[in-house]
Amino acid sequence: MTLAAAVPARRKGDKGIDGSADARLGLMLAAPIVFAMLSLVLIPVASTLWESMHRVNPMMAGTPFIGLQHYRDLLADPIVNEAWRNTFIYVAICVALETAGGIGAALLINQAGRWRRYLLAAVVLPWALPGVVNAVVWGWIYNPAFGLLNGILVAAGLDFEKFVWFNDRTIALFAVSLVHVWRMLPLTAVIVLAALQSIPNDLYEAARIDGASRPKMFANITLPLIRGGIAIAMTQSTVAAFNFFDEAWILTGSARGTRPILVQVYLEAFQNLHFSYGMALSVLVMIASLAVSLVYVLRVQRVTRLD
Amino acid sequence: MDMRLSHRIGVWIGIVVLLVWSVGPIYWAIATSLTPTPDLMSQPIHFFPEHLTLNHYQRLAGFGYIASGDVTVASQFRNALLNSVITALAATIVSIFLASLGGYAFARLEFPGRQTIFFIVIATIAIPGYTVLIPLYRLMVSLKLIDTYLGVTLIYLSAFLPLALWLMRSVFQQLPLSIEEAARIDGAGRLTILFRIVMPLAAPGLVAASIITFLGAWGQYMVPLIFSPTRTKPLTVLIPEFSTKNFVDYGLINAAGTIAMIVPILIVVFLNRYLVSGLTAGSVK
Repeated sequence: MTLAAAVPARRKGDKGIDGSADARLGLMLAAPIVFAMLSLVLIPVASTLWESMHRVNPMMAGTPFIGLQHYRDLLADPIVNEAWRNTFIYVAICVALETAGGIGAALLINQAGRWRRYLLAAVVLPWALPGVVNAVVWGWIYNPAFGLLNGILVAAGLDFEKFVWFNDRTIALFAVSLVHVWRMLPLTAVIVLAALQSIPNDLYEAARIDGASRPKMFANITLPLIRGGIAIAMTQSTVAAFNFFDEAWILTGSARGTRPILVQVYLEAFQNLHFSYGMALSVLVMIASLAVSLVYVLRVQRVTRLD
Repeated sequence: MDMRLSHRIGVWIGIVVLLVWSVGPIYWAIATSLTPTPDLMSQPIHFFPEHLTLNHYQRLAGFGYIASGDVTVASQFRNALLNSVITALAATIVSIFLASLGGYAFARLEFPGRQTIFFIVIATIAIPGYTVLIPLYRLMVSLKLIDTYLGVTLIYLSAFLPLALWLMRSVFQQLPLSIEEAARIDGAGRLTILFRIVMPLAAPGLVAASIITFLGAWGQYMVPLIFSPTRTKPLTVLIPEFSTKNFVDYGLINAAGTIAMIVPILIVVFLNRYLVSGLTAGSVK
């Protein structure tokens, strides 16, 4: 889609008379960006790759080359594997809930009539807030003795008095995911809403004349036409869930049962000061995240080509 | 008719659930921040505060009747608020300045390597930010930029520039070329065209890109946790620290959280149109 958008903008006659002046100005305007990205992203990535094959540890002298030793150690490290497992669980829970909830929210916003503007603003709100603040507020909501959640459940007559949400691992993973879902669901909703709005109304008119029911129209008109948008939203959800850090760190700290892989990177590098070991792990996370994005991008391309 | 009525009822129930889900936690944070501490520690809990107090906010501001320990809380909070505002604004101004100039160059000017450079810069969006945090940390240590506004701003710049560039380029591409061509025939130079004609037309896109960059920087946690440990510590790093002591002061935490939420809330209330347009434009890659 990138190229399709870029190509029409390239005009044949654009070079014109002052082509060389344009080229100079263009390079001048692009230069600071190139410099910033080179020095702050590309060279650091290269150095991460390079140093992950060395032993870099402020507590130990020298930085000897050790090849793929860190990577071998990482694959055998039970704590790292547990963190991977947690991250995959987070990805599964978050992507599923954000996609289902986001589509539902978009459909509701689309039908809200004149309240739609306000409903959209309310739905977008959690995305705009700092993730850390959300985590702190939700931590208070989950409070066993005085929290809102147990308060509601007790008021509803259920036996949740002083129920601790972070004791059981499965429940804790869900509870932590839910805070992340609260923040990221709006993005899915907004993307799907944009896709919904691009569906021409006559399609529904025609289906209505043919006597199609609502569920039928949804399955045969709406869903196929928002598939591209859903795929894009799922890519965003997946990458965000792989990058999961803020909420997990605030709510459960370094607890192993709920520790995502990124908290593991942080602990290795900035608390244990195993710099290069942490770097090797972050390289693995980068590869996993890029691979998942790539799968989605390829699928989106196939889907959009079918459209 | 019956089907339509039940459908409408279903939609309205769904809307109410959606509203409670989205706004409920925010309401709870604000309600907690206005409730006296003894009331917070009572059971059963009250869904609406029985008594209201501004005490938690007073302690953050350092006004009125406060305990001696609150003097540090107030000064820490003031500094963190100031740091959040400064770093988020600096990141936004620098990113949008570079992204709008660069976006115009990538949209309208022919220069060698244009497509390649653009592709590489955009591709960095897919690289998770923390892959570079460790080398950046050592770079910043060697440049003595840890815990400085400049250091944090540079890291935010590297994180938010690609998306802003992407947004700005698509904004410029959507502007009609004929206006610029007319101005050129009248003898206006490229920079005159850019600043006098194109930028004003691109204002909605500039606002959208600025909002997204600002909110991104305002909510950042991991970057300042590593790069702004003390003097330049922002709200996002300070607020969780209120709860590390033995006694968690929920009123104070929620008051601080509410203040950190006010800016994003105002942006959503008044500028949601731009925000949503930026989010959809930014995601349709």
